[in-house]
Amino acid sequence: MFLIKLSLKNLMRHKRRTMITAAIIAWAIFFYITFDSFLLGMNDLVFQNIIDYEYGHVQVANSSYWENKDELPLKNLMFNNEEINKKLTEIRNYKAHAPQINFQLRLSDGINETPVMGKGISPQETLNVLNYEDYIVEGRIFQAGERKAVIGKRLADIMKLELHDYVTLLTRTKSETFNTIDAEIGGIINTPNPTINQNIVLLPLDVVQDTLSVDNMVTHFIVRLDDQNFAPQIVEEFNNELQGMDRNLSVYSWRNLDEVSITQAKQSGNNFILFIVLTIAAIGIINIVILAALERMEEIGMMKAMGLKEREIILSFVLESTGIGVLGGIFGCILGAISVYFFSLYGLDFAAFVDIDMSTFGVPLISKIYGTWNPDAFINMFLFAVFGSMLASILPARWAAKKDPVQAIYKR
Amino acid sequence: MSLLVLKNVKKIYHQGVINVPALKGVELIVEKGEFTTVFGPSGSGKTTLLNVIGCLDKPTEGEIYFTGDNIADLDKRYLAEIRRKNIGFVFQSYNLIPVLTAYENVEFAIKILKNISSREIKKRVFKMLELVGLQGLENRKPNELSGGQKQRVAIARSLVKKPKLVLADEPTANLDSKTGEDVLKIMLEMNEELKTTFLFSTHDPLVMDYAQRKIELKDGQITRDERREELDVFN
Repeated sequence: MFLIKLSLKNLMRHKRRTMITAAIIAWAIFFYITFDSFLLGMNDLVFQNIIDYEYGHVQVANSSYWENKDELPLKNLMFNNEEINKKLTEIRNYKAHAPQINFQLRLSDGINETPVMGKGISPQETLNVLNYEDYIVEGRIFQAGERKAVIGKRLADIMKLELHDYVTLLTRTKSETFNTIDAEIGGIINTPNPTINQNIVLLPLDVVQDTLSVDNMVTHFIVRLDDQNFAPQIVEEFNNELQGMDRNLSVYSWRNLDEVSITQAKQSGNNFILFIVLTIAAIGIINIVILAALERMEEIGMMKAMGLKEREIILSFVLESTGIGVLGGIFGCILGAISVYFFSLYGLDFAAFVDIDMSTFGVPLISKIYGTWNPDAFINMFLFAVFGSMLASILPARWAAKKDPVQAIYKR
Repeated sequence: MSLLVLKNVKKIYHQGVINVPALKGVELIVEKGEFTTVFGPSGSGKTTLLNVIGCLDKPTEGEIYFTGDNIADLDKRYLAEIRRKNIGFVFQSYNLIPVLTAYENVEFAIKILKNISSREIKKRVFKMLELVGLQGLENRKPNELSGGQKQRVAIARSLVKKPKLVLADEPTANLDSKTGEDVLKIMLEMNEELKTTFLFSTHDPLVMDYAQRKIELKDGQITRDERREELDVFN
C-alpha cells in the first residue's frame, strides 16, 4: 500500500516528463481508436454498398461457377425455372430474389471501346433486391424485352455518352462465337457504389439470354433477407435443402465476399501501425524509468539500506510506470471517444478530397464514411497501455533494483 | 552476549588489477547500548567498516557476529532482512525521499515491517518526531526543512522501527557546528532514552567528545579504543 502511495507521489515528481510520456501513449490510443472506427465505418459502408447495389444478402449459384465467377464464365449455369424460384421463397427471413447473368462485354460508341461487365437483370424482381431505383439520375430502368441499357454515370462521362445514345455491346455466346447487342441508353445510374457507376452495363435478362444463347439459364440468383445478420445461418440451413434439389447448387453469404478479406487485411495494417506507435511509447517508458533510476540512485541505496527487497523496489518503479500507462490510457480513450463521437456524427466526406476515388484502392464506396463505435477497441487499448507500460518498465526497474547498495548510496 | 563481534575482518577492493585493502583484520566488540564513534582521517576505512557492520557490504575475510549469529557469509536476501528489522541508518546527505513529508519519510521505515497496526505506526511516528523535536513539522517536505531538521528526520526514521543498532556515517558533516552539536545531543538522548546502540563515524574532534567510546581507525586498522564512564555534554 505504501509503495502505491510512493509511486503515485513519484509520478508527480516530474510532472512534465510524466505528462509527455502519457501524452505519447494517449496519442497512440487516440490514433488507433480513430483509425479503427474509420475502418469499421468504412467496412460497414463497403458491405452495405455491395449488398444494396451488387450482391444482395445471399446468392445461389452452381458451386463450379462460383469458383470461377470472377472470369465471368458461361459454363455451369443454373435454370431459372419455377422450381428454383419457389424454393428460394422458402428461405427463412426471405424478402425478395432475382435472377442475374454476369457476362463479359465490350462497350463501343463507334469510336471508343471499353471492357465492362454486363449484367442481365429481370427489372422488377431486381429492383426488389437491389436499390437502383433511387439512383437513376436520367431516364428510367428498362422493361423486359426492350433493347435498352442502363449505364453508370461515370462510365457515361468517360465514354461521353448521353441518354438515348446508341451503343454497340460486343460479347461471346455460350458457344464462344461473337454476338452484339445494339442498345439505346435508356437510363443513367449514379449509386454510392463506384463499381456500378464505372464498370457495369445493365440489360434486360431476356435480351441477354437470347444474345448469349443460354436459353432460360442464369449465372446466379440474388436474394434479399429481412435481416442481413441471418445470412450466415441461412447459408448453413439452406445449403442442405438446396442440394437435395440439385447437389451442384450452393448458397453464399455476403460475408464470403473477397471484399471482406480485404477489410480484414486492412485491420492487420491497423495492428501494424499500433505496434509501431506503441513501440515508441514503450521506448518512452523505458527511458523514463532509466532516467528516474539514475536520478534516484541515492534513494534506491537508502531503500536497500532500510531493508527493502529488490522485488519491492522493482514494484515501486513498475507501479509508477503503470500509473503513466493508466494516465495515457484514460486520456487516449477520452480523446478517442471525442474523435469517434464527431466522426460518427459528421462523417468524413470523400467528395471533399478532390479526385480521390476510393475504388482505385479497392474500396467500393464514394459516399461519406461515418465512424463506428467499437467498445472492444477502447477496452483493448486501455489494457494494452496499462500492461504495455508495466512490462516495458520491468527490465529497467530490475536494473535499478540490482544496484549495489553501497554504490547507490555513495553514487559510485 | 555482545551485540556485535568482529573477528579479523578484512575488506579488499579490486580496482582493475590493483587490490586496495580497506580493512586489515579489524577486531571489535560492541556491547548493547553503547554510544561509540569511529574516527580517523579520510580513507582510513570508517565508511567501509560501517558498511560491513550494517550488512550493506560483505567482508572479504573474517567473521561478524550480530546478536550471536555470524552474518559475514549470509545471502543478500537475509542481509536485507537483518537490515529491515535490526539496523537503522543515518547518512551524511540525509537521503530522505523528497516527495514524502517528514511524517511519511519516518513512516516508510516502519511500514515495511509486517504485523504492526496502523494505529501503532501512527503513534510511534508521532512519538519519534516529537522526541527529535519536530512536532508541528510533520507535514513538511524535505525541501521545506533545514539541514539540521532533515537530519533529525533521518534519525527519527532510523529509530522508529526500534532497531538494535543505529549506524551513522558522518551524520554532522553537512551541518554547521551548532546544528551538528544539536543533532549529536539528540542521538545521545535517544541512546539514553531508548537504550539503542549507536555507532557513528566522524573526523570532527568536537563530535568525538560526545562519544562514550572512541575507536580510532588508521589505514584499515584499529589503532586506539578508549572508553569513558561519565559524559557531561548536556551541562
